[in-house]
Order: sequence, then structure tokens, then C-alpha cells
Amino acid sequence: MPLEIQIQKNLDSQRSGAVTVKLAGSLDTATAPELERQLSPVLAGQIRDLVFDLAQLKFISSAGLRVFAMARKQLKERGGQTGFVNLQPQIKEVFEIIKSLPGVAVFKDVAEFDQYIAARQRARE
Amino acid sequence: MTLELHATPEEVMRAVDVLREFCRARQVAENTLFALTLALEECASNIVNHALQHDALQTFRMTLEYTGNTMVIELRDRGQEFDPTHPPVMGKETSDDDRQPGGWGIQLARRFTDKILYAREGGENVLRLFKILNAPMEGNLHRQ
Repeated sequence: MPLEIQIQKNLDSQRSGAVTVKLAGSLDTATAPELERQLSPVLAGQIRDLVFDLAQLKFISSAGLRVFAMARKQLKERGGQTGFVNLQPQIKEVFEIIKSLPGVAVFKDVAEFDQYIAARQRARE
Repeated sequence: MTLELHATPEEVMRAVDVLREFCRARQVAENTLFALTLALEECASNIVNHALQHDALQTFRMTLEYTGNTMVIELRDRGQEFDPTHPPVMGKETSDDDRQPGGWGIQLARRFTDKILYAREGGENVLRLFKILNAPMEGNLHRQ
């Protein structure tokens, strides 16, 4: 099962500086390096917030979780947030077992993530 | 059935594909199949990364056994002795930034199987993963 990766920069003012990464398929030991390769230039940029949309992600292993942990660490260093939306039940179960992505926020959907980001921006103003 | 695989991530996923085909032919439930594939992926990756040190010329073997109410996955390799049932302990008191992802694999494997046995037999690492079909996940670990 391959992994499809879609990276979208958000241009609207509310989510300026945020990037959405949509994943579909299998994030495993064979595909995780490709996600890491594609995220590298994104994380090297000026983005602060990153949201992974996992609606179409069918499988994840610790190799994929390590990529998430790496992204989370880099964004945290610049005061950013890594969020996850639309987790399928089995993916959510893996997250719950690991509980090793502290500081990573899981949201019901993109709208909930947007509300979080907007509230944070208001608090900073 | 037994399959010989090279020590690469792609071969790990080939093993996963064979497991999926094997289980679907026996009408194993999808949630059980997810658990088995995840446990196999983690344990086979451990073999590739630790026991065989990413040496693609090295091989390991996977044997699948279905008894009707239990699935057994056996993994054998001739790499250096490596017992994944004794991973580094991740202390709860460790701060968020100090926590390392190492050990996540076996943590997942033990939660998604009912029993994991490790033995060193004739110069081989032998790992057996047991999944009782339609049973709650218990995650017991034993060394023979």
C-alpha cells in the first residue's frame, strides 16, 4: 500500500503560516522516509503551524510516528503547533497506545484546528 | 507458509502484504488484520534495523501459521542476539523533550498481540507472535 502526500500552504489570513499535509495510504517503514524528505523543505521555511489531515490514512507504524515527532520538535522550538485531524479509529488507537507525542494536539477536524489557531493568535495580540 | 526476506524496509512491507493476503484468504477480521500487520511491521523492522543492521544481503524468514482460532507469526534471523521483548524502559518521569521514540515498536507490538515469545535457538533469533482471533488484546511478553 503506497503513501500519497499532499502538502498545501494555507493562504487565508486566519491560517497564514500554517501548512496542511494530507496523507493517504500507509505510513510505514518503507514510506516514512519519503514523508520526511518532503517535509524537510517545508520545516526549513518560516511556517509555524502544521496540521496533518489523516482522513485517508489506513495504516501507521512507529516509523511514521517518528516523522511526526521530528516535525513536532522542530515547530515547538519556534513556538509552533503540530496538529492532527480526522483520525480513523485504528490510527487513533495507535496514538492512544503510544501517548508519546506530548505537545501534539489531536483535533476532530480542520475547523476545530482553525478555532484553536485563531484563539492562540487573539491571545498573542 | 514460509517466506525468505532480505533485510530492507521494502521486504518488511512485502512480508506485510503476504500476511494480509494470507489472513484475508482465511477471513480474518479487518481489525485483527490491522493488529497483526502492525505487530509484524514493528518486529520485522527491528530485525532489519538492529539484528541485521540494514545489511540487505542478510536474510530473515517469516512463517505464518493459522490454527483456526490463533494466528502465529514466526520470525527467524541469524543476526546478533537481539531480544525485542526487553526494550529500553521509557520512564514516565522523563520530560517531554527528552523522551525518545525508541521502544515504540515493541510497545505497539505487545499491545496488538496476545503473546510474544523470544528465544535464541542454534544461533538464530526466534520471535513468535501470537494473536488469538476475536480475543481482547492482552499483550503478554515472555522469554522462553
